[in-house]
Amino acid sequence: MSEAMWALRRICSERDGRLGLAFTTIILVFALVGPLVSPDPNVLDIKARFAAPGIAHLFGTDNLGRDLFARTSAGTRYALTLAVTIVVISSIIGSLIGIVAGIAGGWVDRAVTAVFDIVNAFPPLILAFALIALYGKGSATFVLLVTVVFIPQFGRMARARARTLRNLSFIEAERMLAVHPATIVVRHYLPNVAGPIIVLASMNLPVVIAFEASLSFLGFGVQPPKSSLGTLIKDGFVSINQSWWPTVTAALVLAVATLGATLLGEALRRVIDPKSAGTR
Amino acid sequence: MAISLRNLSVDYNLPIGAAHALRDVSLDIQKGEMLGLVGESGSGKSTVAFALMGLLAANARVTSGTATIEGRQFDLTRPNATASLRGRGMAMIFQDPMLSLNPVFTIGAQLIEVLRRRSPGSDRKTRAAQAEDALAKVKLSNPKQRMQQYPHELSGGMRQRVVIAMALLSEPALLIADEPTTALDVTVEAQIMREIIGLRDRIGCAVLLITHSLGLVTEHCDRISVLYAGERLESGTVRDVQRQPGHPYTRMLFDCEVPIDRARDPDAAQNRFTVIAGELPDPRRRPPGCIFNGRCDVSFEDCAKVVPGDYAVAGSASHGARCLRLATP
Amino acid sequence: MTDAISVSNAQLRFGHTVALDGVSLSIPQGTCFGIVGESGSGKTTLMRAVLGLQRLDAGDIRILGNPLGHGRAALKRRASFIQPIFQDPAASLSPRSRIRTLMNEVGTVLKEPHAATYERLAVILKRLGLPASVVDKYPHEISGGQARRVAIARALLMKPSILIADEPTAGLDVSVQGDLLNLLQDIRRSDNITLVVISHNLAVVRLIAENAVVMRAGKVVEGGEVGALFGAPREAYTRELLAAWPSITHSGP
Repeated sequence: MSEAMWALRRICSERDGRLGLAFTTIILVFALVGPLVSPDPNVLDIKARFAAPGIAHLFGTDNLGRDLFARTSAGTRYALTLAVTIVVISSIIGSLIGIVAGIAGGWVDRAVTAVFDIVNAFPPLILAFALIALYGKGSATFVLLVTVVFIPQFGRMARARARTLRNLSFIEAERMLAVHPATIVVRHYLPNVAGPIIVLASMNLPVVIAFEASLSFLGFGVQPPKSSLGTLIKDGFVSINQSWWPTVTAALVLAVATLGATLLGEALRRVIDPKSAGTR
Repeated sequence: MAISLRNLSVDYNLPIGAAHALRDVSLDIQKGEMLGLVGESGSGKSTVAFALMGLLAANARVTSGTATIEGRQFDLTRPNATASLRGRGMAMIFQDPMLSLNPVFTIGAQLIEVLRRRSPGSDRKTRAAQAEDALAKVKLSNPKQRMQQYPHELSGGMRQRVVIAMALLSEPALLIADEPTTALDVTVEAQIMREIIGLRDRIGCAVLLITHSLGLVTEHCDRISVLYAGERLESGTVRDVQRQPGHPYTRMLFDCEVPIDRARDPDAAQNRFTVIAGELPDPRRRPPGCIFNGRCDVSFEDCAKVVPGDYAVAGSASHGARCLRLATP
Repeated sequence: MTDAISVSNAQLRFGHTVALDGVSLSIPQGTCFGIVGESGSGKTTLMRAVLGLQRLDAGDIRILGNPLGHGRAALKRRASFIQPIFQDPAASLSPRSRIRTLMNEVGTVLKEPHAATYERLAVILKRLGLPASVVDKYPHEISGGQARRVAIARALLMKPSILIADEPTAGLDVSVQGDLLNLLQDIRRSDNITLVVISHNLAVVRLIAENAVVMRAGKVVEGGEVGALFGAPREAYTRELLAAWPSITHSGP
């Protein structure tokens, strides 16, 4: 815990870190508090179509008279939930596969690396279309897809770290004491792999958010009437001649969310893993 | 006096406070002579080299010190005081030769660059011939072929030879060798020391050999200076200091060395190693009196109060030590 | 009595380089044995093979008469016979575990109640001059010298009959290396442990080992009792090593 406090203080000690933390906090509050203070995002009010932002509707309404503050908040919440779920699942699975491959070496290592390469060889969007064609549209498909795309990234990093650790004295000392292999992985590999994995995870949050928005924008993501930042931007874009703010507000929220997460991730990387800072 | 260093003091600014790395260290090296600067880790011996070369870390500050090199005086407290001497008047050999070699250029290109900076007038062919000649002089095998090779293609010992060849071409007045053989095997170490001595004799420069090995100093150096916790405790000719160490620390340091010809005693309990008990003093707060007081085996009352000056040992003007026992015979 | 360690005709190549080229040696129980050589001589590779961290291409290694097995049962048995002291012992402590956790692991492997482990640990810590409070610290919170002793304490907690120390004095100041060597000698005598010291430092090996071998390019050049080996070497290479050693016995120029 003290380590987390130390990291937080270090992040706050620089401008980009403070900015990232502020943006992320704003987005989190917006996503969590939004539903408490705004009307139901799916209630239609035909009389108030394209209402301008005001007291009744903070962000105005869309072409069906739905409250845009509520819809944007719901879309943000959806994007954040997806991003966190995907990043957590893929980082855990990826780290374990990577560590095992790194320790085992030999054909296990080669096979795992080959699978990682094959998955990474597909452009994510093409892979997305293929999976949507197979399993249909929906959040489950999306989670599966992005998890599959991200596992190799985490796996590769964990594998590289594990291969370095494997030859370090302290791991060899554990082996020479005949400590159980599962204990070695959990107690001595995982904590020493965790730093760069956490950094990579935080850097991948904005990627998932943006990817979800682009898929939804193209109509392959969330289905109506549920809202997502991507569908909000698209719907607003269709009726941009009637009113411009639905597109702009949704795009602004998306920008703040991805920018905040990116700045925070970069700051975290400078704190946890200073050697790789500035490289990608 | 070819090279003289006067009252060098260096502080490091650390998060936990200012640490004194060196306090009033003075050295003199004659031309054609090799001075061994010995000290254990934490003695500040490498800081001397870095301060002379102007290579100190950003958090280091020279608080006092002047260097006289070939009659020119340099105020070391000014940043980049000796910049004009780098590559011309001074050359340095590091423990890791890769610090001096650029991995993306061939050996030949780097040697020729040294010559180009030293004498811009000469033509390419002469420079290449001179570079190849330098490699031959430091006894690197197949110098012609080596000119086309990259540093990573050579072994550690060969790279160190290339660095010595670079120093040879720059014809410095002062060569600083900071643990030049520590990373090398003993057989290679002996050869590299021979090349450094060969270089000194060829161009007649002064050599400052910074090392933790008393063996190297007694075998190869003319004079020795002993550094402890940032202070120079003793200096003199190797012969005098070895015969009659003026400072207890010097004597204990010599006692710790394991001579190669010390035979094993059949009684295992007799094969003990000498140890200097205690630890280095806190570099942030210098204890009063003698810096070595806490670990000395012959200290007396005054040692904890009076800071010793530099006293002559056995009446010799060239052999001095900072020990109160010399002042009160 | 069976030898503590016996190696016969060990062969190992890494690609085109020969790391071990027919090494045979036997180390009697309860003695101190030195392996000297320069970098690339194969001395560290030989140690890793003996510890089971590196498989051989051919040859046989026996620890107290037992062949090296690679299963978990064989590993457990070997762990109670032989323990390493690595070149940088401070790096042989897992950086994110408390020293207490690391010591508990040994008890778990020995299937010993923690209380019994601590009783033994207290004795060992006292003997190594370590405060009992050291177990509550993380490795980065203690000094290098203490970390070195903690690593030795952990190896001793396993109750091994053989200790292998790889370059135990590398990078240490002369005033400190003696302390460590004296400690290793004391432990060896009082616990009747077989101590194998791998080092490039001939002077040190000559004093602490009864027998030694000189290695070069994966081969044993010569070996025997240290008095004869270093006093009257038969091979030119051993003489060359001895001559090249910078020693204070020579008077200056």
